Amino acid sequence: MPIKVLAFAGSPRRHGNSETLLDWVLAAMADEPDVVVEKAALTDTDINPCRGCNACQKLNTCVQRDGMDIYHDKIIEADIIALAAPIFCMGIAAQAKALIDRAQVFTSRKYVLKLPIVPKERKGKRLGIFISTAGRNWSYVFDAAIPSVKCFFHVIDVKDADIHYLMINGVDEKGAIERHPTAKSEAEMLGKDVVAELRKRLAA
Amino acid sequence: MAVTVLGISGSPHRHGNTETLLDKFLDGAHEAGAAVEKVVLRDLLYSPCRGCNACHKTGDCIIQDDAIGLYEKILAADCIAVASPIYTMGITAELKGFIDRGQYLWARKFILKTLYFTDEHIKRHKGIFVSTAGLGWDRVFDGAFPVITALFNSVGFEYYDNIIANDMDQFGGIRQHPTALSEAYEKGQKVVKVLAHFKELP
Repeated sequence: MPIKVLAFAGSPRRHGNSETLLDWVLAAMADEPDVVVEKAALTDTDINPCRGCNACQKLNTCVQRDGMDIYHDKIIEADIIALAAPIFCMGIAAQAKALIDRAQVFTSRKYVLKLPIVPKERKGKRLGIFISTAGRNWSYVFDAAIPSVKCFFHVIDVKDADIHYLMINGVDEKGAIERHPTAKSEAEMLGKDVVAELRKRLAA
Repeated sequence: MAVTVLGISGSPHRHGNTETLLDKFLDGAHEAGAAVEKVVLRDLLYSPCRGCNACHKTGDCIIQDDAIGLYEKILAADCIAVASPIYTMGITAELKGFIDRGQYLWARKFILKTLYFTDEHIKRHKGIFVSTAGLGWDRVFDGAFPVITALFNSVGFEYYDNIIANDMDQFGGIRQHPTALSEAYEKGQKVVKVLAHFKELP
């Protein structure tokens, strides 16, 4: 079985800094044998915000019929889930926050209905990647995004310790990431490392 | 002229815990003589920021929708109360979508330098964050504060206060909370008195 990588490019700007960084990670992964990569740009996926209706606590499914119908299943099936999003106004871009909030169906499944997210034998064999870029070069510019990202991975059965981060600040205009001294090599190394780590887990 | 107070409800869920808390604040403000208005983001039509950065050159957003009208209302108000429940450790996607659209004001301030708020202006414009969270964790609002700070900064409002209550799941809703609603009401009265005092000054 090939390793399945599901990646979300969460920026409204196509092929901007965070998506480029993601692409470098994905290219390094796709270079490895038996890795299948799928990328979705959230701006094209029709994933609407959570309505806060809490119906998923009873129904175990979301009442909204939109792009999440497809990605709900893909999130469960993937071995590696990557989320890339820029920081806007000190937080994660609204498009990515909508995806994160729609993971409420998994929260309800896990904590209210007490049902599994992935089959028992796949637990601990899922890894997460969070990729972000920010225009400001403040060291704390990613701080407000991280708790939401941790929640997202937590409820889809990716442990805190299994989330890998690549966050580059001080890149604003489109293409700025290309001029960053280490971003590309860090991204490629991350891609290879995460695939290697997953193989280790799968073999265990 | 009366103090103007604008409440913005960022919950997709009508009349839930956060909006109820906001309503109490607005009731208190109204009682103290303010002209009060509430806008429910769910009823507006606007899209999130596209990150096109066109505003960095023009100072205007290329998307002309309800978000722009609401920013105009904010800029005309003396006090804004911005309300959102905590979803997944942050504000709702609706409110984040609206806040991201304020990029054109940020561009006016920091790139084009066509917008400037004096310290005196900021002192006379008070921003309040209203929120509730289901979980009782101490840090449950931490992801929201920096984003709200960014909003208040770009519209020239002092981040004056929080009206927040966590542990809603345990209390069984805001109406069961021992103090939150009365505190919200009192804070509404108080901020209007403070702002009314400024209005009397030259």
